[in-house]
Amino acid sequence: MYTTPRSFLVYALLPAFFFLACFYVYPSIFNIQTSLTDLGIFTLRRGGDWIGVDNYVELLTSPDFRRVLFNTVVWLTLAGVTVRIVLGLALAFLLNSRTLRKWRLTTAARLLLIVPWATPPVVAIIVWRWMLDPRVGSINSALTATGIVDQAIPFLSDANWVWPAILLIITWNTLPLVTLTFLASLQSLSAELVEAAEIDGAGPLQLLRYIYLPHLKPAIIVMVLMSTFWTFNNFVYVWLTTGAGPGLYTNVMATEIYIKGFIDGRLGYSAATGVVMATVMTLFGLVYLRVIAKRELVEESK
Amino acid sequence: MRMRDAKTWATELATVTATAAILGFLVYPTFWVFVASLKTPETMFSARNWDWTISNYTRLMDAGFGHNIFNSLFLCTTAVVLSTVISVNAAYAFSRLRFRGRDTLFGAILLGQTFPWIILVTPVFILFARMGLLNSWVSMIFVYIAVSVPFSIYLLVGYLRSVPRSLDEAAIMDGASYVQVVWRVIFPIMFPGIVATATYAFLLCWSEYLFSVAILTREEMKTMPLALYIYFGENVTDWGNVMAGAALTTLPTLLMFLPLQRYMVAGLAAGSVKQ
Repeated sequence: MYTTPRSFLVYALLPAFFFLACFYVYPSIFNIQTSLTDLGIFTLRRGGDWIGVDNYVELLTSPDFRRVLFNTVVWLTLAGVTVRIVLGLALAFLLNSRTLRKWRLTTAARLLLIVPWATPPVVAIIVWRWMLDPRVGSINSALTATGIVDQAIPFLSDANWVWPAILLIITWNTLPLVTLTFLASLQSLSAELVEAAEIDGAGPLQLLRYIYLPHLKPAIIVMVLMSTFWTFNNFVYVWLTTGAGPGLYTNVMATEIYIKGFIDGRLGYSAATGVVMATVMTLFGLVYLRVIAKRELVEESK
Repeated sequence: MRMRDAKTWATELATVTATAAILGFLVYPTFWVFVASLKTPETMFSARNWDWTISNYTRLMDAGFGHNIFNSLFLCTTAVVLSTVISVNAAYAFSRLRFRGRDTLFGAILLGQTFPWIILVTPVFILFARMGLLNSWVSMIFVYIAVSVPFSIYLLVGYLRSVPRSLDEAAIMDGASYVQVVWRVIFPIMFPGIVATATYAFLLCWSEYLFSVAILTREEMKTMPLALYIYFGENVTDWGNVMAGAALTTLPTLLMFLPLQRYMVAGLAAGSVKQ
Protein backbone atom coordinates (compact mmCIF):
# COMPACT_ATOMS: atom_id res chain seq x y z
CA MET A 1 0.00 0.00 0.00
CA TYR A 2 1.32 3.45 -0.97
CA THR A 3 4.69 2.10 -1.99
CA THR A 4 5.26 4.42 -4.90
CA PRO A 5 6.07 8.02 -4.12
CA ARG A 6 3.11 9.17 -6.20
CA SER A 7 0.41 7.19 -4.42
CA PHE A 8 1.91 8.14 -1.04
CA LEU A 9 1.91 11.82 -2.00
CA VAL A 10 -1.79 11.71 -2.76
CA TYR A 11 -2.49 9.93 0.53
CA ALA A 12 -0.27 12.31 2.53
CA LEU A 13 -1.18 15.65 1.00
CA LEU A 14 -4.80 15.29 -0.05
CA PRO A 15 -6.35 15.54 3.45
CA ALA A 16 -4.27 18.58 4.38
CA PHE A 17 -5.09 20.41 1.18
CA PHE A 18 -8.75 19.39 1.38
CA PHE A 19 -8.98 21.38 4.61
CA LEU A 20 -6.96 24.28 3.23
CA ALA A 21 -9.13 24.48 0.13
CA CYS A 22 -12.43 24.22 2.02
CA PHE A 23 -11.47 26.56 4.82
CA TYR A 24 -9.18 29.16 3.24
CA VAL A 25 -9.60 29.17 -0.53
CA TYR A 26 -13.32 28.63 -1.05
CA PRO A 27 -14.49 31.05 1.70
CA SER A 28 -12.05 33.66 0.35
CA ILE A 29 -13.53 33.44 -3.12
CA PHE A 30 -17.02 33.46 -1.63
CA ASN A 31 -15.98 36.55 0.36
CA ILE A 32 -14.92 38.43 -2.78
CA GLN A 33 -18.25 37.54 -4.36
CA THR A 34 -20.16 38.69 -1.25
CA SER A 35 -18.22 41.97 -1.15
CA LEU A 36 -19.81 42.96 -4.46
CA THR A 37 -23.36 42.59 -3.08
CA ASP A 38 -25.48 44.27 -0.41
CA LEU A 39 -26.02 40.97 1.43
CA GLY A 40 -27.40 41.56 4.90
CA ILE A 41 -27.94 39.30 7.86
CA PHE A 42 -31.69 39.23 7.14
CA THR A 43 -31.32 38.52 3.43
CA LEU A 44 -29.05 35.54 4.08
CA ARG A 45 -31.45 33.00 2.61
CA ARG A 46 -32.49 35.07 -0.40
CA GLY A 47 -28.99 36.35 -1.19
CA GLY A 48 -27.92 39.96 -1.72
CA ASP A 49 -28.21 42.10 -4.84
CA TRP A 50 -25.23 42.83 -7.02
CA ILE A 51 -24.02 46.39 -6.38
CA GLY A 52 -20.59 46.29 -8.02
CA VAL A 53 -17.80 48.10 -6.23
CA ASP A 54 -20.08 50.37 -4.17
CA ASN A 55 -18.91 48.81 -0.88
CA TYR A 56 -15.29 49.48 -1.78
CA VAL A 57 -16.02 53.09 -2.79
CA GLU A 58 -17.84 53.70 0.50
CA LEU A 59 -15.05 52.00 2.45
CA LEU A 60 -12.12 53.80 0.90
CA THR A 61 -13.73 57.25 1.04
CA SER A 62 -14.95 56.87 4.62
CA PRO A 63 -13.05 58.93 7.23
CA ASP A 64 -13.92 56.27 9.82
CA PHE A 65 -12.05 53.71 7.81
CA ARG A 66 -8.98 55.89 7.67
CA ARG A 67 -8.91 55.94 11.44
CA VAL A 68 -9.41 52.17 11.54
CA LEU A 69 -6.46 51.75 9.21
CA PHE A 70 -4.34 54.13 11.30
CA ASN A 71 -5.24 52.27 14.52
CA THR A 72 -4.44 48.90 12.97
CA VAL A 73 -1.17 49.83 11.32
CA VAL A 74 0.33 52.38 13.72
CA TRP A 75 -1.01 51.52 17.17
CA LEU A 76 -1.74 47.81 17.08
CA THR A 77 0.94 46.57 14.71
CA LEU A 78 3.81 49.07 14.59
CA ALA A 79 3.77 50.10 18.24
CA GLY A 80 2.78 46.62 19.44
CA VAL A 81 5.48 44.77 17.55
CA THR A 82 8.22 47.32 18.28
CA VAL A 83 7.55 47.26 22.04
CA ARG A 84 7.52 43.47 22.06
CA ILE A 85 10.76 43.06 20.09
CA VAL A 86 12.70 45.73 22.02
CA LEU A 87 11.58 44.48 25.43
CA GLY A 88 12.07 40.89 24.33
CA LEU A 89 15.66 41.61 23.33
CA ALA A 90 16.38 43.51 26.55
CA LEU A 91 14.93 40.75 28.71
CA ALA A 92 16.76 38.02 26.77
CA PHE A 93 20.07 39.83 27.35
CA LEU A 94 19.24 40.22 31.03
CA LEU A 95 18.39 36.53 31.43
CA ASN A 96 21.53 35.54 29.56
CA SER A 97 23.75 37.79 31.68
CA ARG A 98 26.76 36.31 33.48
CA THR A 99 25.28 36.98 36.88
CA LEU A 100 22.12 34.98 36.28
CA ARG A 101 24.08 32.18 34.67
CA LYS A 102 26.51 32.15 37.56
CA TRP A 103 23.72 31.80 40.11
CA ARG A 104 21.95 29.25 37.87
CA LEU A 105 18.88 31.43 37.64
CA THR A 106 18.43 31.35 33.86
CA THR A 107 16.46 28.08 33.88
CA ALA A 108 14.25 29.18 36.76
CA ALA A 109 13.57 32.45 34.95
CA ARG A 110 12.74 30.58 31.78
CA LEU A 111 10.17 28.45 33.58
CA LEU A 112 8.53 31.50 35.14
CA LEU A 113 8.36 33.15 31.73
CA ILE A 114 6.06 30.32 30.62
CA VAL A 115 3.33 31.56 32.95
CA PRO A 116 2.09 34.59 30.96
CA TRP A 117 2.59 32.69 27.71
CA ALA A 118 0.49 29.75 28.92
CA THR A 119 -2.30 32.03 30.09
CA PRO A 120 -5.04 31.92 27.43
CA PRO A 121 -5.72 35.39 25.96
CA VAL A 122 -9.29 35.40 27.26
CA VAL A 123 -8.06 34.87 30.82
CA ALA A 124 -5.25 37.41 30.33
CA ILE A 125 -7.76 40.02 29.22
CA ILE A 126 -10.12 39.29 32.11
CA VAL A 127 -7.43 39.56 34.78
CA TRP A 128 -5.93 42.71 33.28
CA ARG A 129 -9.34 44.31 32.95
CA TRP A 130 -9.76 43.67 36.63
CA MET A 131 -6.32 45.07 37.47
CA LEU A 132 -6.95 48.19 35.38
CA ASP A 133 -10.46 48.72 36.75
CA PRO A 134 -10.92 52.15 38.38
CA ARG A 135 -13.09 50.82 41.24
CA VAL A 136 -11.75 47.42 42.25
CA GLY A 137 -8.48 47.15 40.30
CA SER A 138 -5.17 46.61 42.09
CA ILE A 139 -3.21 49.03 39.90
CA ASN A 140 -5.47 51.94 40.75
CA SER A 141 -5.56 51.07 44.45
CA ALA A 142 -1.75 50.95 44.45
CA LEU A 143 -1.54 54.28 42.61
CA THR A 144 -3.98 56.06 44.91
CA ALA A 145 -2.63 54.46 48.09
CA THR A 146 0.90 55.64 47.35
CA GLY A 147 -0.38 59.06 46.38
CA ILE A 148 0.96 58.96 42.83
CA VAL A 149 -2.48 59.96 41.56
CA ASP A 150 -5.37 61.56 43.46
CA GLN A 151 -8.12 59.95 41.48
CA ALA A 152 -8.35 56.48 39.99
CA ILE A 153 -7.61 56.42 36.25
CA PRO A 154 -10.24 54.73 34.09
CA PHE A 155 -7.54 53.23 31.86
CA LEU A 156 -9.88 51.51 29.45
CA SER A 157 -12.30 54.35 28.86
CA ASP A 158 -9.85 57.29 28.84
CA ALA A 159 -8.66 58.06 25.29
CA ASN A 160 -5.18 58.96 26.56
CA TRP A 161 -4.71 55.64 28.30
CA VAL A 162 -6.66 53.11 26.32
CA TRP A 163 -4.05 52.28 23.65
CA PRO A 164 -1.16 51.99 26.10
CA ALA A 165 -3.40 49.75 28.22
CA ILE A 166 -4.26 47.46 25.29
CA LEU A 167 -0.58 47.30 24.32
CA LEU A 168 0.31 46.44 27.90
CA ILE A 169 -2.04 43.44 27.83
CA ILE A 170 -0.81 42.23 24.43
CA THR A 171 2.83 42.69 25.42
CA TRP A 172 2.37 40.86 28.71
CA ASN A 173 0.79 37.89 26.95
CA THR A 174 3.18 37.66 24.00
CA LEU A 175 6.52 38.84 25.39
CA PRO A 176 7.63 35.40 26.68
CA LEU A 177 7.61 33.72 23.27
CA VAL A 178 9.76 36.48 21.78
CA THR A 179 12.10 36.54 24.78
CA LEU A 180 12.52 32.76 24.85
CA THR A 181 13.31 32.68 21.13
CA PHE A 182 15.96 35.38 21.50
CA LEU A 183 17.32 33.65 24.60
CA ALA A 184 17.62 30.35 22.70
CA SER A 185 19.51 32.19 20.00
CA LEU A 186 21.83 33.89 22.51
CA GLN A 187 22.54 30.58 24.22
CA SER A 188 23.61 29.06 20.91
CA LEU A 189 26.32 31.72 20.54
CA SER A 190 29.75 30.32 21.38
CA ALA A 191 31.22 31.75 24.57
CA GLU A 192 34.73 31.63 23.08
CA LEU A 193 33.74 34.07 20.39
CA VAL A 194 32.55 36.61 22.97
CA GLU A 195 35.64 36.06 25.13
CA ALA A 196 37.98 36.44 22.18
CA ALA A 197 36.34 39.72 21.26
CA GLU A 198 36.61 40.93 24.84
CA ILE A 199 40.29 40.04 24.98
CA ASP A 200 40.76 42.03 21.79
CA GLY A 201 39.33 44.99 23.70
CA ALA A 202 35.76 45.19 22.40
CA GLY A 203 33.44 47.21 24.66
CA PRO A 204 29.78 46.35 25.35
CA LEU A 205 28.50 48.45 22.44
CA GLN A 206 30.97 46.93 20.03
CA LEU A 207 30.05 43.44 21.22
CA LEU A 208 26.40 44.26 20.60
CA ARG A 209 27.05 45.72 17.18
CA TYR A 210 29.52 43.15 15.82
CA ILE A 211 28.80 39.92 17.70
CA TYR A 212 25.33 39.76 19.25
CA LEU A 213 23.14 41.53 16.71
CA PRO A 214 24.51 39.71 13.64
CA HIS A 215 23.99 36.42 15.48
CA LEU A 216 20.44 37.38 16.52
CA LYS A 217 19.49 38.76 13.12
CA PRO A 218 17.66 35.68 11.75
CA ALA A 219 15.72 35.27 15.02
CA ILE A 220 14.79 38.96 14.98
CA ILE A 221 13.58 38.79 11.37
CA VAL A 222 11.40 35.73 12.02
CA MET A 223 9.94 37.19 15.21
CA VAL A 224 9.22 40.58 13.60
CA LEU A 225 7.42 38.92 10.70
CA MET A 226 5.45 36.46 12.81
CA SER A 227 4.50 39.04 15.43
CA THR A 228 3.31 41.34 12.68
CA PHE A 229 0.91 38.69 11.37
CA TRP A 230 -0.35 37.66 14.78
CA THR A 231 -0.94 41.22 15.87
CA PHE A 232 -2.33 42.67 12.65
CA ASN A 233 -4.79 39.78 12.35
CA ASN A 234 -5.72 39.63 15.99
CA PHE A 235 -9.30 40.15 17.01
CA VAL A 236 -9.69 39.15 20.65
CA TYR A 237 -7.31 41.57 22.35
CA VAL A 238 -9.06 44.73 21.18
CA TRP A 239 -12.56 43.26 21.08
CA LEU A 240 -12.59 41.71 24.52
CA THR A 241 -10.61 44.51 26.18
CA THR A 242 -12.50 47.56 24.96
CA GLY A 243 -15.07 46.34 22.41
CA ALA A 244 -13.42 48.83 20.02
CA GLY A 245 -14.36 51.66 22.42
CA PRO A 246 -14.61 54.14 24.00
CA GLY A 247 -17.00 54.89 21.15
CA LEU A 248 -15.07 53.48 18.22
CA TYR A 249 -11.80 55.02 19.36
CA THR A 250 -9.81 51.76 19.33
CA ASN A 251 -11.57 50.21 16.35
CA VAL A 252 -9.16 48.13 14.23
CA MET A 253 -9.69 46.24 10.98
CA ALA A 254 -10.54 42.93 12.65
CA THR A 255 -13.13 44.51 14.96
CA GLU A 256 -14.50 46.63 12.11
CA ILE A 257 -15.20 43.45 10.11
CA TYR A 258 -16.93 41.90 13.09
CA ILE A 259 -18.98 44.99 13.94
CA LYS A 260 -20.12 45.59 10.36
CA GLY A 261 -20.92 41.93 9.75
CA PHE A 262 -22.36 40.61 12.99
CA ILE A 263 -23.66 43.73 14.73
CA ASP A 264 -24.75 46.04 11.90
CA GLY A 265 -25.62 42.98 9.81
CA ARG A 266 -24.01 44.41 6.66
CA LEU A 267 -22.31 41.23 5.48
CA GLY A 268 -21.47 42.64 2.02
CA TYR A 269 -19.69 45.68 3.43
CA SER A 270 -17.97 43.53 6.05
CA ALA A 271 -16.75 41.22 3.28
CA ALA A 272 -15.32 44.18 1.36
CA THR A 273 -13.39 45.25 4.48
CA GLY A 274 -12.13 41.69 4.70
CA VAL A 275 -10.91 41.75 1.11
CA VAL A 276 -8.98 44.97 1.77
CA MET A 277 -7.45 43.45 4.90
CA ALA A 278 -6.53 40.25 3.06
CA THR A 279 -4.88 42.28 0.30
CA VAL A 280 -2.71 44.16 2.80
CA MET A 281 -1.81 40.90 4.53
CA THR A 282 -1.06 39.05 1.29
CA LEU A 283 1.38 41.74 0.19
CA PHE A 284 3.10 41.40 3.52
CA GLY A 285 2.84 37.61 3.32
CA LEU A 286 4.81 37.60 0.08
CA VAL A 287 7.69 39.31 1.87
CA TYR A 288 7.44 36.64 4.56
CA LEU A 289 7.48 33.88 1.95
CA ARG A 290 10.60 35.27 0.35
CA VAL A 291 12.39 35.29 3.68
CA ILE A 292 11.09 32.17 5.46
CA ALA A 293 10.23 29.76 2.67
CA LYS A 294 13.61 30.37 1.11
CA ARG A 295 15.39 29.54 4.32
CA GLU A 296 13.27 26.44 5.01
CA LEU A 297 13.50 24.96 1.54
CA VAL A 298 17.06 25.94 0.78
CA GLU A 299 18.06 24.15 3.93
CA GLU A 300 15.93 21.16 2.91
CA SER A 301 17.64 20.66 -0.42
CA LYS A 302 21.13 20.92 1.02
CA MET B 1 40.64 44.83 45.03
CA ARG B 2 38.07 45.19 47.83
CA MET B 3 36.44 48.06 45.95
CA ARG B 4 36.08 45.98 42.83
CA ASP B 5 34.56 43.06 44.71
CA ALA B 6 32.03 45.36 46.29
CA LYS B 7 31.23 46.86 42.92
CA THR B 8 30.73 43.44 41.33
CA TRP B 9 28.51 42.49 44.22
CA ALA B 10 26.40 45.59 43.75
CA THR B 11 26.01 44.94 40.03
CA GLU B 12 25.07 41.34 40.63
CA LEU B 13 22.57 42.29 43.28
CA ALA B 14 21.04 44.89 40.96
CA THR B 15 20.78 42.37 38.11
CA VAL B 16 19.11 39.75 40.29
CA THR B 17 16.73 42.30 41.80
CA ALA B 18 15.76 43.69 38.41
CA THR B 19 15.14 40.19 37.05
CA ALA B 20 13.08 39.24 40.08
CA ALA B 21 10.99 42.42 39.74
CA ILE B 22 10.33 41.84 36.04
CA LEU B 23 9.46 38.19 36.50
CA GLY B 24 7.27 39.06 39.47
CA PHE B 25 5.39 41.52 37.30
CA LEU B 26 4.99 38.88 34.58
CA VAL B 27 3.81 36.13 36.90
CA TYR B 28 1.61 38.22 39.20
CA PRO B 29 -1.60 38.44 37.10
CA THR B 30 -1.88 34.68 36.52
CA PHE B 31 -0.83 33.89 40.07
CA TRP B 32 -3.52 36.25 41.26
CA VAL B 33 -6.22 34.44 39.25
CA PHE B 34 -5.54 31.29 41.27
CA VAL B 35 -5.42 33.14 44.59
CA ALA B 36 -8.63 35.08 43.88
CA SER B 37 -10.44 31.95 42.79
CA LEU B 38 -9.95 30.60 46.31
CA LYS B 39 -11.19 33.72 48.12
CA THR B 40 -14.78 34.69 48.81
CA PRO B 41 -16.09 37.32 46.37
CA GLU B 42 -16.37 39.77 49.30
CA THR B 43 -12.69 39.59 50.22
CA MET B 44 -11.43 38.90 46.70
CA PHE B 45 -10.22 42.43 46.04
CA SER B 46 -8.76 43.03 49.44
CA ALA B 47 -5.11 42.45 50.21
CA ARG B 48 -5.81 42.36 53.96
CA ASN B 49 -8.78 40.04 54.31
CA TRP B 50 -8.16 36.46 53.36
CA ASP B 51 -11.23 34.27 53.55
CA TRP B 52 -10.31 31.03 51.86
CA THR B 53 -13.07 29.01 50.28
CA ILE B 54 -13.77 26.55 47.50
CA SER B 55 -17.34 27.77 47.15
CA ASN B 56 -16.46 29.61 43.91
CA TYR B 57 -15.69 26.28 42.32
CA THR B 58 -18.75 24.49 43.65
CA ARG B 59 -21.00 27.35 42.53
CA LEU B 60 -19.34 27.33 39.11
CA MET B 61 -20.02 23.62 38.73
CA ASP B 62 -23.63 24.14 39.83
CA ALA B 63 -23.91 26.77 37.11
CA GLY B 64 -23.12 24.06 34.57
CA PHE B 65 -19.46 24.81 33.86
CA GLY B 66 -18.86 21.06 33.74
CA HIS B 67 -20.57 21.06 30.34
CA ASN B 68 -18.21 23.74 29.09
CA ILE B 69 -15.17 21.83 30.33
CA PHE B 70 -16.39 18.70 28.59
CA ASN B 71 -17.12 20.62 25.36
CA SER B 72 -13.66 22.18 25.27
CA LEU B 73 -11.90 18.91 26.06
CA PHE B 74 -13.89 16.88 23.55
CA LEU B 75 -13.65 19.43 20.76
CA CYS B 76 -9.94 20.19 21.14
CA THR B 77 -8.85 16.58 21.64
CA THR B 78 -10.73 15.28 18.61
CA ALA B 79 -9.56 18.10 16.36
CA VAL B 80 -5.94 17.84 17.52
CA VAL B 81 -5.70 14.07 17.07
CA LEU B 82 -7.07 14.32 13.53
CA SER B 83 -5.00 17.36 12.58
CA THR B 84 -1.80 15.80 13.95
CA VAL B 85 -2.30 12.60 11.93
CA ILE B 86 -2.93 14.66 8.79
CA SER B 87 0.05 16.93 9.49
CA VAL B 88 2.57 14.18 10.24
CA ASN B 89 1.90 12.59 6.84
CA ALA B 90 2.03 15.89 5.00
CA ALA B 91 5.15 17.07 6.82
CA TYR B 92 6.94 13.83 5.93
CA ALA B 93 6.06 14.30 2.26
CA PHE B 94 7.32 17.89 2.27
CA SER B 95 10.47 17.02 4.13
CA ARG B 96 11.57 13.86 2.31
CA LEU B 97 10.03 13.63 -1.12
CA ARG B 98 10.86 15.63 -4.20
CA PHE B 99 7.87 16.41 -6.38
CA ARG B 100 6.67 18.98 -8.81
CA GLY B 101 4.96 21.95 -7.16
CA ARG B 102 6.46 21.20 -3.75
CA ASP B 103 7.70 24.73 -3.16
CA THR B 104 4.39 26.26 -4.22
CA LEU B 105 2.37 23.93 -2.00
CA PHE B 106 4.66 24.51 0.97
CA GLY B 107 4.34 28.25 0.32
CA ALA B 108 0.55 27.82 0.47
CA ILE B 109 0.93 26.13 3.87
CA LEU B 110 3.03 29.02 5.15
CA LEU B 111 0.54 31.56 3.84
CA GLY B 112 -2.21 29.65 5.67
CA GLN B 113 -0.49 30.64 8.90
CA THR B 114 -0.47 34.30 8.00
CA PHE B 115 -4.09 34.40 6.89
CA PRO B 116 -6.38 36.60 9.02
CA TRP B 117 -9.05 34.30 10.47
CA ILE B 118 -11.37 37.22 11.05
CA ILE B 119 -11.89 37.45 7.29
CA LEU B 120 -13.03 33.84 7.18
CA VAL B 121 -15.57 34.12 9.99
CA THR B 122 -18.30 35.77 7.90
CA PRO B 123 -18.10 33.44 4.86
CA VAL B 124 -17.63 30.33 7.00
CA PHE B 125 -20.60 31.39 9.11
CA ILE B 126 -22.78 31.95 6.01
CA LEU B 127 -21.74 28.65 4.44
CA PHE B 128 -22.33 26.67 7.63
CA ALA B 129 -25.67 28.42 8.14
CA ARG B 130 -26.78 27.40 4.65
CA MET B 131 -25.71 23.81 5.28
CA GLY B 132 -27.51 23.78 8.63
CA LEU B 133 -24.22 23.21 10.46
CA LEU B 134 -24.40 25.97 13.06
CA ASN B 135 -24.21 24.62 16.61
CA SER B 136 -22.67 21.38 15.45
CA TRP B 137 -19.52 19.58 16.56
CA VAL B 138 -18.72 18.65 12.95
CA SER B 139 -18.34 22.27 11.90
CA MET B 140 -16.23 23.22 14.93
CA ILE B 141 -13.94 20.21 14.52
CA PHE B 142 -13.60 21.06 10.85
CA VAL B 143 -12.62 24.66 11.72
CA TYR B 144 -10.12 23.59 14.39
CA ILE B 145 -8.43 21.06 12.09
CA ALA B 146 -8.16 23.67 9.34
CA VAL B 147 -6.77 26.23 11.77
CA SER B 148 -4.10 23.95 13.24
CA VAL B 149 -2.94 22.04 10.13
CA PRO B 150 -0.74 24.81 8.59
CA PHE B 151 0.93 25.52 11.90
CA SER B 152 1.50 21.84 12.70
CA ILE B 153 2.98 21.07 9.28
CA TYR B 154 5.36 24.02 9.62
CA LEU B 155 6.54 22.89 13.06
CA LEU B 156 6.84 19.24 12.07
CA VAL B 157 8.88 19.99 8.95
CA GLY B 158 11.27 21.83 11.28
CA TYR B 159 11.54 18.85 13.68
CA LEU B 160 11.94 16.37 10.81
CA ARG B 161 15.09 18.15 9.76
CA SER B 162 16.85 16.76 12.82
CA VAL B 163 15.90 13.16 11.96
CA PRO B 164 18.63 11.59 9.83
CA ARG B 165 17.46 10.61 6.37
CA SER B 166 19.52 7.44 6.43
CA LEU B 167 17.00 5.92 8.87
CA ASP B 168 14.03 6.09 6.57
CA GLU B 169 16.12 5.34 3.50
CA ALA B 170 17.29 2.12 5.12
CA ALA B 171 13.70 1.14 5.94
CA ILE B 172 12.61 1.81 2.35
CA MET B 173 15.49 -0.37 1.10
CA ASP B 174 14.22 -3.15 3.37
CA GLY B 175 10.91 -2.97 1.54
CA ALA B 176 8.85 -0.87 3.96
CA SER B 177 6.11 1.26 2.45
CA TYR B 178 6.09 5.02 3.06
CA VAL B 179 3.17 4.72 5.44
CA GLN B 180 5.09 2.16 7.49
CA VAL B 181 8.15 4.42 7.49
CA VAL B 182 6.11 7.35 8.76
CA TRP B 183 4.34 5.52 11.56
CA ARG B 184 6.89 2.81 12.51
CA VAL B 185 10.20 4.65 12.01
CA ILE B 186 9.62 8.40 12.07
CA PHE B 187 6.78 8.55 14.60
CA PRO B 188 8.69 6.94 17.50
CA ILE B 189 11.86 8.92 16.82
CA MET B 190 10.26 12.33 16.69
CA PHE B 191 7.60 11.57 19.28
CA PRO B 192 8.59 14.50 21.55
CA GLY B 193 8.35 16.88 18.61
CA ILE B 194 4.95 15.47 17.67
CA VAL B 195 3.73 15.83 21.25
CA ALA B 196 4.96 19.44 21.31
CA THR B 197 3.18 20.15 18.03
CA ALA B 198 -0.03 18.53 19.23
CA THR B 199 0.16 20.50 22.47
CA TYR B 200 0.57 23.72 20.59
CA ALA B 201 -2.41 22.90 18.38
CA PHE B 202 -4.39 21.99 21.49
CA LEU B 203 -3.65 25.34 23.09
CA LEU B 204 -4.62 27.14 19.90
CA CYS B 205 -8.04 25.44 20.00
CA TRP B 206 -8.35 25.66 23.79
CA SER B 207 -8.20 29.46 23.79
CA GLU B 208 -9.95 30.01 20.45
CA TYR B 209 -12.79 32.51 20.74
CA LEU B 210 -13.65 33.95 17.34
CA PHE B 211 -15.11 30.99 15.47
CA SER B 212 -16.75 29.44 18.49
CA VAL B 213 -18.56 32.67 19.36
CA ALA B 214 -19.98 32.82 15.83
CA ILE B 215 -20.85 29.14 15.40
CA LEU B 216 -21.80 27.94 18.89
CA THR B 217 -24.80 29.93 20.05
CA ARG B 218 -26.58 27.27 22.10
CA GLU B 219 -25.77 27.43 25.81
CA GLU B 220 -25.04 23.74 26.27
CA MET B 221 -22.52 23.70 23.40
CA LYS B 222 -20.35 26.64 24.45
CA THR B 223 -16.66 26.16 25.20
CA MET B 224 -14.83 27.43 28.30
CA PRO B 225 -13.65 30.82 26.92
CA LEU B 226 -17.19 31.62 25.77
CA ALA B 227 -18.71 30.72 29.13
CA LEU B 228 -16.04 32.77 30.92
CA TYR B 229 -16.94 35.85 28.97
CA ILE B 230 -20.62 35.39 29.73
CA TYR B 231 -19.86 35.34 33.47
CA PHE B 232 -17.70 38.40 32.93
CA GLY B 233 -20.84 40.09 31.67
CA GLU B 234 -21.64 43.43 30.14
CA ASN B 235 -22.35 45.34 33.33
CA VAL B 236 -22.39 43.06 36.32
CA THR B 237 -19.49 40.68 36.76
CA ASP B 238 -19.84 37.48 38.75
CA TRP B 239 -16.26 37.54 40.03
CA GLY B 240 -16.46 34.24 41.91
CA ASN B 241 -17.46 32.36 38.75
CA VAL B 242 -15.07 34.35 36.56
CA MET B 243 -12.00 33.68 38.68
CA ALA B 244 -12.75 29.99 39.29
CA GLY B 245 -13.46 29.54 35.56
CA ALA B 246 -10.33 31.44 34.58
CA ALA B 247 -8.24 29.26 36.90
CA LEU B 248 -9.73 26.08 35.43
CA THR B 249 -9.08 27.35 31.89
CA THR B 250 -5.46 28.22 32.65
CA LEU B 251 -4.48 25.18 34.71
CA PRO B 252 -4.29 22.62 31.87
CA THR B 253 -2.33 24.95 29.59
CA LEU B 254 0.16 25.72 32.36
CA LEU B 255 0.65 22.04 33.13
CA MET B 256 1.13 21.20 29.46
CA PHE B 257 3.52 24.07 28.75
CA LEU B 258 6.01 23.43 31.53
CA PRO B 259 7.44 20.09 30.37
CA LEU B 260 7.28 21.06 26.69
CA GLN B 261 8.61 24.60 26.65
CA ARG B 262 12.02 23.61 25.29
CA TYR B 263 10.55 21.78 22.30
CA MET B 264 8.07 24.50 21.57
CA VAL B 265 10.65 27.26 21.55
CA ALA B 266 12.95 25.15 19.41
CA GLY B 267 10.13 24.44 16.97
CA LEU B 268 8.91 28.00 16.71
CA ALA B 269 12.40 29.29 16.29
CA ALA B 270 13.22 26.69 13.64
CA GLY B 271 15.28 28.33 10.97
CA SER B 272 15.81 31.40 13.10
CA VAL B 273 18.12 30.09 15.77
CA LYS B 274 20.41 28.08 13.58
CA GLN B 275 21.90 29.40 10.42
